Amino acid sequence: MRTSQLAVGLAGLALVLAACSSGTDTENDAAGETATESAEEASTEEAPAESIDVIKIGSIHPLTGGLAGDGLQMDAGAKLAADDINAAGGIMCLDGAQLEILSADSTGTPEVGQSEAERLIQEGAIALVGPYQSAVASNMATVAERNGVPFVIDVAVSDDILDQGYTNTFRIQPNASAMGSQGALFLKELTDAEGIEVSKIAMLHEQSAFGTSVYEAFNKAAAGYGWTVEPVISYDAFGVTDLTTEMTTVKAAKPDVIVVTGYYGDGVLATEAISAVNPGAKLIYGIAQGAFDNPSYPGDVAGAGEGFFNVNYHLDVTNPTTLDIANRFETSYGEPMKTSATHSYEAVRVIANALEQSCSGDPIALRDAIAATDLESILATVGNIQFDETGENVNGSPIVMQVQDDAVVQVYPANIAEADPRFP
Amino acid sequence: MVSTQTTASADSAVSRGWQLPPNAKPILVAIAIAILVFFLAYLRTDGSSLILTQALVTGLMAGGVYGLVALGLTLIFGVLHVINFAQGALVTLGMYVTYVVANDLGWNPYLTLFISIPLLFAFGALVQKIMINRSMGEEHANTLLLTLALGLLIENALLLTFGGNPQSVRTGQETVYNIFGAVATQSRLIAFGGALILALLLFFMLQRTSIGTAIRAVASNPTGARLVGVNTSRIYVITFAIGAACAGAAGTLVAPIVSITPVAGEVFNITAFVIVVLGGLGKVLGALFGGLIVGLAEQFGGILFPDQSNLLGVFIVFVLILFLRPQGLFSSNS
Repeated sequence: MRTSQLAVGLAGLALVLAACSSGTDTENDAAGETATESAEEASTEEAPAESIDVIKIGSIHPLTGGLAGDGLQMDAGAKLAADDINAAGGIMCLDGAQLEILSADSTGTPEVGQSEAERLIQEGAIALVGPYQSAVASNMATVAERNGVPFVIDVAVSDDILDQGYTNTFRIQPNASAMGSQGALFLKELTDAEGIEVSKIAMLHEQSAFGTSVYEAFNKAAAGYGWTVEPVISYDAFGVTDLTTEMTTVKAAKPDVIVVTGYYGDGVLATEAISAVNPGAKLIYGIAQGAFDNPSYPGDVAGAGEGFFNVNYHLDVTNPTTLDIANRFETSYGEPMKTSATHSYEAVRVIANALEQSCSGDPIALRDAIAATDLESILATVGNIQFDETGENVNGSPIVMQVQDDAVVQVYPANIAEADPRFP
Repeated sequence: MVSTQTTASADSAVSRGWQLPPNAKPILVAIAIAILVFFLAYLRTDGSSLILTQALVTGLMAGGVYGLVALGLTLIFGVLHVINFAQGALVTLGMYVTYVVANDLGWNPYLTLFISIPLLFAFGALVQKIMINRSMGEEHANTLLLTLALGLLIENALLLTFGGNPQSVRTGQETVYNIFGAVATQSRLIAFGGALILALLLFFMLQRTSIGTAIRAVASNPTGARLVGVNTSRIYVITFAIGAACAGAAGTLVAPIVSITPVAGEVFNITAFVIVVLGGLGKVLGALFGGLIVGLAEQFGGILFPDQSNLLGVFIVFVLILFLRPQGLFSSNS
């Protein structure tokens, strides 16, 4: 009897949640206020370029939910980039037109990300940046394609997003294949140089498109180096509360290296499990692990992550421009700038740079200019930002970091290294 | 003659000692399934008893905390007939209370139980008094929407105040204990032990004190309770407050283990609902045992279905229970 009441209740909850997720488009008041403004602007879009004084860029990130910590930072990163460009005189060739960031909350769900992208384009955004999650990026890319509006992905790793032959979507960060294969290559180079013998690797990864695609790329590269990747254990990053049993399974296989891919909370759980179980691997090696290179990680795990490596995209701490941006971000935002936020900053820079080339408020001209981008990066990469015909940044590359003396430092390759890698 | 007597008395002894409930079959089926699962897991791990021991230890320890959260939920449902969707958010609130007190005032995280329990008790009482009491006895959906809204409010207020970055309560280097070859960190052991102690305290409070008797009276017959002079709306307030305090205590106990974010309690919400159905709605001990079962289901599900969400095992148990024994393992009535 009561069970049936509960079942009715659960069904009710499902309905309410569905209603909530479709109702979020009323959330952003600031954007609502500018709706009339943008309507005027839309009508003048065909007019000569000189009449443009505000250029709107849509920024869509998870501002609520489990990834809000990153999403809020990324939105702030995009805004800081716009502020910097505006303070330096705006878009010069459009008579100092100012950039305006229209922020929206993807809530971490693909459908909301998609509807918010549509809304922001309606409100006059001529370019989109975002969204931190691969599934959301896939949906936003379809919107960008349909509306002929360029979309610069700051963070979203899955290869699939750009496999569809889209012409309006560009990606700044290295994709999953690059993460997995570069991760394997760096591991090979590091262990060869140190004379560490590797034959068996255990992999622990979160189970969404992100973790799985990194695993597949890593596994493929590892086979080429003669490594066995076994066991491979995946988990639900947002439902997991303990990884001890998983780590016991890893220990039973006696691997030389343990590779970990995932987000922050599960990275901390993996660390706890490693220090409890003590699986006896020679190296703990993160690939695109969201915790291992986070500045607050060494303190959060009370030193248990000492010596852990991580292959990931990163802001270039050896670049004074980047450090200046990061310092100003920390002053105004109150938290150290995460790498994800520097990617959002970078995405807005790419759009501003392309606007200087296209000299127009027309999204199609902007798209062509973005495709021809050649811009020095504030990220630790191997060269300028340049997009290939699929929209991938050809010079986007991960680097290797390590936790040394309770701090995350860049250790490899040598051109961006702050310190030498340490081995047990 | 003598022999028949002995047989008869033996029979009656059996029926007295083994008073099988009329529908005991599902329980036997459940036990059979448990044995089967254990056997399959044994095969799956190539006979590694270490992995199985670890799964048992981890599952039981996680289950203790799940049980404490579910206990609050089942109590609130049993007495108020309110489905509290804010239970997970109340767990999160408990985590943040611990985070603030432990980090800003330098308290030992576990001592913050003395703050989080009374604080969440007061918060729960307030919520019941000013929000939920007003819509009691009307449509079920009204209170359901109220608690859902409360959960969203708490989550977003926390997001506004603390930001979305994961926070942690530092307890320093973890001591690791060895249990039959399996390992358990000190903070997980404390969380498990603390949850069990609090749950048993609550159980005895309900059985032995006058307020506990009043709560049970209202649960079984509100009109009757009112007739003998029990102030039911006061009991409602106290019950919701106890339910919230359970969530708060659970939040404090897991704070040193998890990364604290405004949605960190969500996972406890999902398991709590399964546990409440598993143990029988309104059954305190049922919630506790249900918690342990769900904790184990999560671990063994992970072993049997390695590439799936760890909640898969939990939901398989949920569906099985709804089929085999919809009134829950610990309910005698149907």
